Amino acid sequence: MNRNQKIKLYLFTLIMSMAVIFAITFPRLTLPFGFAYIIYLMVRPLTVRLITGSRRQRILYFFLVLTGSILILLPLAATIYNIDTSFSAFTQELPEVQKVLQEKFFALKLKVFEKYGYRINVEPVSYIMIKIETHGSDLLTQIPNYLSHLFEWLLLVPLFLYFFFMESRRSSNKLLEAVPNIIFEKSYVLFSQFNTKFGEYMIAKFIEATILGTIVTIGLSIIGFPYALVLGLIAGITNILPYIGPVLGVIPALFIALLSKDPNASMAGMLFVFAIANLIDIILVFPLLVSKIVNLHPILVVVSIIIGSQLGGIVGMIVIIPFIAFFKLLFIEIYKDLSVQL
Amino acid sequence: MTYEKEITEKIMKGESTSDRLEIPLLKYLWDAGPISFLSKEGYHDFFKKIPVLSSFSDNEVRLFTKFLHRREFQPDEVIFKQGDTGYGFYFIFSGSVNIFANYNPQGNEQGELVIKLDSRQYFGEMGLLEEYNRRTATARAGENTILLGIFKPDLERMLELHPVLGAKFLREMALIMANRMGQLTREIVSLKKKLKELELKG
Repeated sequence: MNRNQKIKLYLFTLIMSMAVIFAITFPRLTLPFGFAYIIYLMVRPLTVRLITGSRRQRILYFFLVLTGSILILLPLAATIYNIDTSFSAFTQELPEVQKVLQEKFFALKLKVFEKYGYRINVEPVSYIMIKIETHGSDLLTQIPNYLSHLFEWLLLVPLFLYFFFMESRRSSNKLLEAVPNIIFEKSYVLFSQFNTKFGEYMIAKFIEATILGTIVTIGLSIIGFPYALVLGLIAGITNILPYIGPVLGVIPALFIALLSKDPNASMAGMLFVFAIANLIDIILVFPLLVSKIVNLHPILVVVSIIIGSQLGGIVGMIVIIPFIAFFKLLFIEIYKDLSVQL
Repeated sequence: MTYEKEITEKIMKGESTSDRLEIPLLKYLWDAGPISFLSKEGYHDFFKKIPVLSSFSDNEVRLFTKFLHRREFQPDEVIFKQGDTGYGFYFIFSGSVNIFANYNPQGNEQGELVIKLDSRQYFGEMGLLEEYNRRTATARAGENTILLGIFKPDLERMLELHPVLGAKFLREMALIMANRMGQLTREIVSLKKKLKELELKG
């Protein structure tokens, strides 16, 4: 590599690093930008067939974004109040849940001591209780926060989305011109593959979460279980996470069941609804929609989700999977190259 | 058939040429015209002079150029190395490209100069068509060179957006491959002939 090529590579790395710093510094701008990009990747295959190449492209994309915003975002914004109220009521019941769990635990501790003379250590259980209290309330209070930003996003997301539809090709070509020759071919192909996989993964997960969330909401409403909408929403969102998602989704419902007058009956009904929803997901939805898109080892998925949650909370947990799939692709390519050179 | 011929034939037959003005096409034709000072890129003339793409109409050339990436290389800069994974096919817009083959893959030397390619020639077609392609030679820019590259994602996008154009381009790629195969067969025949002559002498 000569001097000019090295300067170009360093300059490109510097610009990329600055872009990352900008993204981290201004999350109120970069988050809707990223969200709009995800939606763009999700709907691109459909719009490409319908609109690109048409003579009235600009007008069609404008109406598509406008109609999409009205059809999806406005009803969501209208239901924010209901969801927010339910979430507030739900989080207010968390201390009650903690109290019930503590009572049950101490009763069990006493029983064990009376029967076997063994004293159960309290510290790990108290630690879990504190964790449930802090993390549980954090997790639940974050969701209404995300939803309350919807009004701001209502303006920004369609604006960015329209930009992606109209200008993405031209802008990405301009950006690609700045990529040094030495890494161009590989990075362009990997970036395109990642975009396609990411879009496919997100749309598959969105459909899967919607189906599961709807089944859980309807099922819980039928059996008269409280907070059916909130629990359905939580089950849908957590289901986006492979393997541990279904388990996480059922935990808030378990706590609610413990508070009811007849815990055993409501727990059995609730578990039946979740079992049916997850069975439909495992047998029908997952094999048809998701399985072929992300081919990762279960242990890698669980480790990735833990890392994702540490880096970016719920969003990090969801988004980390396609990124790990991308890095897997990248490592395979690098490994193939190295194996040829050695 | 070129756009001009198409229009002339329609006028001769008394058919309507078009029900509406196609502004992008008119703009492109204006830019591509010989008197235009706006024709910075000159892609139209360039592709019209490449025999293998001569069957493309003016509009198809216009659409085809949208899928290309312009890459600039300095003298002796590596375009790709032997053994690299190949993803793209390049047209030499200006400058020249030297192709080297290293017959001893363990050695670190550059290899032997196989061929020098000049403007309007092309290389790397296997990278575009094969699923897992390994470059069989190293390509280096001979001087300040501008290449127009098309890569696997672009071909997939072209087939999705403009299937007729994509199929036409693939047909031309098949022709390029067939020509290369023909050359190889002739070379093998000639080498076998030489080998036989040597055996008879020996």
